[in-house]
Amino acid sequence: MPASASTATPPSDIAVNLEQVTKRYLQWQRSGQVSNTLKNLLRPEQRVVVALNQVSFQVRQGEFVAYAGANGAGKSTTLKILAGMLHPETGKVEVLGYDPLQQRIPLMRELGVLFGNRTELWWDLPIQSSFAWKKVIWDIPEATYQHNLEQALEMLELKPLLNTFARELSLGQRMRADLALLLLHSPKLIILDEPTLGLDVLAKRRMIDYLKQLNREKGVTVLITSHDMDDLEEMAGRLLLLSHGELAFDGTFDALRKLTTIRRHITVTTDSQVAPELERATWLRSDGFAHLYEVNSDPRNMRLLLGELAEQPGLVDIETGKAPIEAVVAELYRRWR
Amino acid sequence: MEVKRVFSLLGLYARMDLAWFLRDTKHCLICILGDLLSNIAAISGVFLLALRFQNFGGMNDSEVLFMLSYLMAMSGIQEIFLRNCNVSYISRRIGRGQLEHMLLLPLPLPLQLLTEGFIPFSGNGTLISGFILLRYSLLRLELQPHGWWWLSLTGSLVLSVVTVIGASYLFATSAFYAPVACEEISSRVFGVADALKIFPLSGMPLGLQITLCSVLPVGLLGWFPCLALLGKAPLGLPGWFPLAFAATLWLITLTLFKKGLRHYASIGINRYSAIGHRR
Repeated sequence: MPASASTATPPSDIAVNLEQVTKRYLQWQRSGQVSNTLKNLLRPEQRVVVALNQVSFQVRQGEFVAYAGANGAGKSTTLKILAGMLHPETGKVEVLGYDPLQQRIPLMRELGVLFGNRTELWWDLPIQSSFAWKKVIWDIPEATYQHNLEQALEMLELKPLLNTFARELSLGQRMRADLALLLLHSPKLIILDEPTLGLDVLAKRRMIDYLKQLNREKGVTVLITSHDMDDLEEMAGRLLLLSHGELAFDGTFDALRKLTTIRRHITVTTDSQVAPELERATWLRSDGFAHLYEVNSDPRNMRLLLGELAEQPGLVDIETGKAPIEAVVAELYRRWR
Repeated sequence: MEVKRVFSLLGLYARMDLAWFLRDTKHCLICILGDLLSNIAAISGVFLLALRFQNFGGMNDSEVLFMLSYLMAMSGIQEIFLRNCNVSYISRRIGRGQLEHMLLLPLPLPLQLLTEGFIPFSGNGTLISGFILLRYSLLRLELQPHGWWWLSLTGSLVLSVVTVIGASYLFATSAFYAPVACEEISSRVFGVADALKIFPLSGMPLGLQITLCSVLPVGLLGWFPCLALLGKAPLGLPGWFPLAFAATLWLITLTLFKKGLRHYASIGINRYSAIGHRR
């Protein structure tokens, strides 16, 4: 059971519904030794890997949900099941009210899927040819197509790249072009698997801003995976955390913080490179004149700490922040290992 | 499957191919010329043997030329409709895990496979040279073809393409189960077909003729239909035998392909090759 289960949602409002979904893979184990040749031939050793074990969750329409987990936790398997690429072994799957296996074609008219390690663009054609291709394949009305294209080109700054071959784009440019392609048919739900993989700060910024805007202004439901927890926290209001194929947490990022002992951070800048000794905070590290401490965020303790800091000679600045989500998740991954 | 939708998609891929032709005309023309020359080179060996040794393979030189030009036209149709995006070489897309891209489009798989290989501009070199050679071979044969005969020729050409593609897809089903080992099995099928289909089989032992028209059906790609079109259907079989064979072959292929597709969707293929999914 997840640490914090979301409340039941009326069926009409549900974009994604997974009920007790299980998926296992068989992995052949081959030693490559001569002595095992006969065994490999007649009865090769198999290992069962449980990718998903009785996973259940719902995503409401208009939600922006982060789907995270350590490597091999089952994230991509889930997304492939939602997109109808993989069949679950057991359980029920509904996406936008459709069964992805039986109703693939109507579902694909309303769903957008982007895997960060692959492209839907035509490799040897300028990206505008891929956009024109999508218009015919999805049978997108001219007005919708022009409106969506114009908006995507503007927001993702793709106009100068329209005549560039997909194979000649940088990774960031390609991801932006793929995202634009994904949005041309006005999908109600978009599923993104590691869309910020390998992007530089600026490219990532553009993508995050655009996704947030889409969710906020058009009510597009977004389900996104990434290993960058800071990015996910900035975008998503809800986090689903997988561990070893099971849903280990379902809730907000702040609720996740409460599950760990990692506490609030405070950065104290002074005119000295020597960190001041504080009674109510634990020193973690110093970077020049900036000294990082971990503190108990209890309000009474914070008041006392601020008083203590006010008496420090050479104080220049104080900056407080929530417990870093990366550290919180890392601790949980370690705990669940 | 809507006929209108098929034509709309064929039109789309034709426009995309034309765009390549217009954008990169020099390379496109070189490709067409290269196709033309290599096709003529591929059949010239057998034709020269037929000229030197009369009744080579049990057929005279004009009949051999007719068969070779028929085969070239057949390859031309296949190249125009099915060469792009590895539609003919489907084991590559299966073995590379690239069928997943097709599952994300709101189109039935057969419709995608029927249309996305269409390259009428860059892929027409073989068909044009095949038709020119076909016309010349008919003049040599002193045939006076009528409407029904042309219709039979067209039907035979399509059936030959359907047969070789059926064989490719049949063997390609193995890539669902062994993606690494069988990624190139479709190209092996075409390799065998290209190597054997150009030989006239009339002079071969009966057992070999039957084998090459059933188990390894290269005889049905050119030799059998050409003799049937010339009113000399071999092996005592009716002229519609290739149609019955193609129908049976596709029945088996579709059954196994669907089974393989179910296996693919249940197991997945974790060897996606990120070099542009249609390559």
